[in-house]
Amino acid sequence: MAIINLQNITYKYPLTDSPALQNINLQIQEGKFVALIGPNGAGKSTLCYTLAGFVPHFFKGELTGTVEVAGVESNNSSLSEWVLNVGLAFQNPFNQISGAKYTVFEELAFGLENIGIARGEMKTRVEDAMQLTGISDLADRSPYSLSGGQQQRVALTSILVMQPKVLVLDEPTSQMDPIGTREVFGVIHRMAERGMTVILAEHKVEWIAQFADRVIALKDGQILLDGTPAEVLTSPLLPENGFGISRYTSVARKAQEMGLWKKENLPISLSEAVEGFSSHLPRREGAGQNEY
Amino acid sequence: MHERLSFYVKRDSVLHRLNPLTKLTLVLGLILISFLSPWYWTPQILLLLIIIPLSFVGKVSRPFFGAFLKLILPAALFLFLMQAFFQPVGERVIFRFWFLTVTMESLLFAFRNAMRIIVMVSSFTLFLLTTHPSELMSDLTRRGLPPQFAYVIISTLQILPQMQAKAQTIIAAQRSRGLDTQSSFLKRAGSLGPLVGPLVFGSLVEVEERAIAIEARGFTSTRVKTSLYEIPDTHVDRAIRWMLAALVIITIALRIWLS
Repeated sequence: MAIINLQNITYKYPLTDSPALQNINLQIQEGKFVALIGPNGAGKSTLCYTLAGFVPHFFKGELTGTVEVAGVESNNSSLSEWVLNVGLAFQNPFNQISGAKYTVFEELAFGLENIGIARGEMKTRVEDAMQLTGISDLADRSPYSLSGGQQQRVALTSILVMQPKVLVLDEPTSQMDPIGTREVFGVIHRMAERGMTVILAEHKVEWIAQFADRVIALKDGQILLDGTPAEVLTSPLLPENGFGISRYTSVARKAQEMGLWKKENLPISLSEAVEGFSSHLPRREGAGQNEY
Repeated sequence: MHERLSFYVKRDSVLHRLNPLTKLTLVLGLILISFLSPWYWTPQILLLLIIIPLSFVGKVSRPFFGAFLKLILPAALFLFLMQAFFQPVGERVIFRFWFLTVTMESLLFAFRNAMRIIVMVSSFTLFLLTTHPSELMSDLTRRGLPPQFAYVIISTLQILPQMQAKAQTIIAAQRSRGLDTQSSFLKRAGSLGPLVGPLVFGSLVEVEERAIAIEARGFTSTRVKTSLYEIPDTHVDRAIRWMLAALVIITIALRIWLS
């Protein structure tokens, strides 16, 4: 059953002439991990805001078409009710810290206080969520004293405690170092494994290749491609339209032009690339894996 | 650095356990009584018999006297000197120096004002030392203070040090590109532009993101809010508050009656 249903979505930000989203039709099944890719300005963030209800409830402007999540239409709901179904986390972890709380534990309880959860349940929910995202040891720290990766995990946890059905993430690792990125992806992956519907806008295609069930490529506010990671990430349309692609794919494509890649499909991950190239390499006696 | 703007000192004391509103009432009560009392010695008595002993009860005497000696006393002394020298009242001249005349009346007047200021600032200091800001705000929100108002106060306290750090980063970045921040006053004033611009515009962008972040956590929800901590409000608290209100009223009555 489709938990997300977008029909003919077109949206213009206030004071702009060209639409940020054009004619988007999209159904997403419950429990799927869907990645949104696209160059800057393609509409990834706007689509995230639309799913999370901030378009049209927070950003004004003209929205046509219908947004439906879990059977409710966003036009018929208020933002504060909508966020109970759809959680949103975004790039800058620092700006997602409420600033109203002195410890991580209090910070995580902030959303639950706002929606009137009883004290006992509040504590259980916060403790469970902290365990899930691996930040239990940070409970008494000030949110401002944490590293970027830790802050972003706190931001994610602060959304998870609200127990939304859908998690929308707008480039949550764009300001992270490799360690922070791995920490945050670890959490996202665990959420997806638990059956949460995850929509992730992200540039880091290597990670998408590893985790996503489905990839949607956006260009100028329209859907350019929609399919499995293998289909979308190896499409020749991506480099032609200015998308960042996986280095494994681009190396293999060069090799294909030179007649050195014999397989039908291009690789999207390191292991696929290694497998494809290995058939070309003369195997020396005693050669190990790292010789490739 | 993060905790610096909160004066709160964590201790286990009777004073810490009082309801924040009770402590706030106590502060306001002390201030009103010291300003309205018809007797000259009231502020001194309040300081010696109530505020200073309470700093021991609250187990915060060390930070209290620290603030008292470093901040409150010098400020009060300055106020005292200014008023003693420049208050042209009274006839009983004590001494003249150049064009300055100090009279008995101006001395007494200056002393009383300085003592009132001391009572005001030191009782507030005591309040801040023993009350956690978020506890105060959740208690006041529960009593009907708009949550937006409480949020603005608390988040400002927390965000100021972050702004400071950001300003330092911008200064360092601009100086590394040759901005002059150390020569003559005029030049330094001129270089404020490249510092303030990025800081202000950067903060405006942040405000929108922060608004989105707290909206995403149901800040504007119309449901009845709950609180993570239970903030006790006992009948002792209520009794103290009523007693203070009564004392203030009696003080006002005495002042009217005796004048």
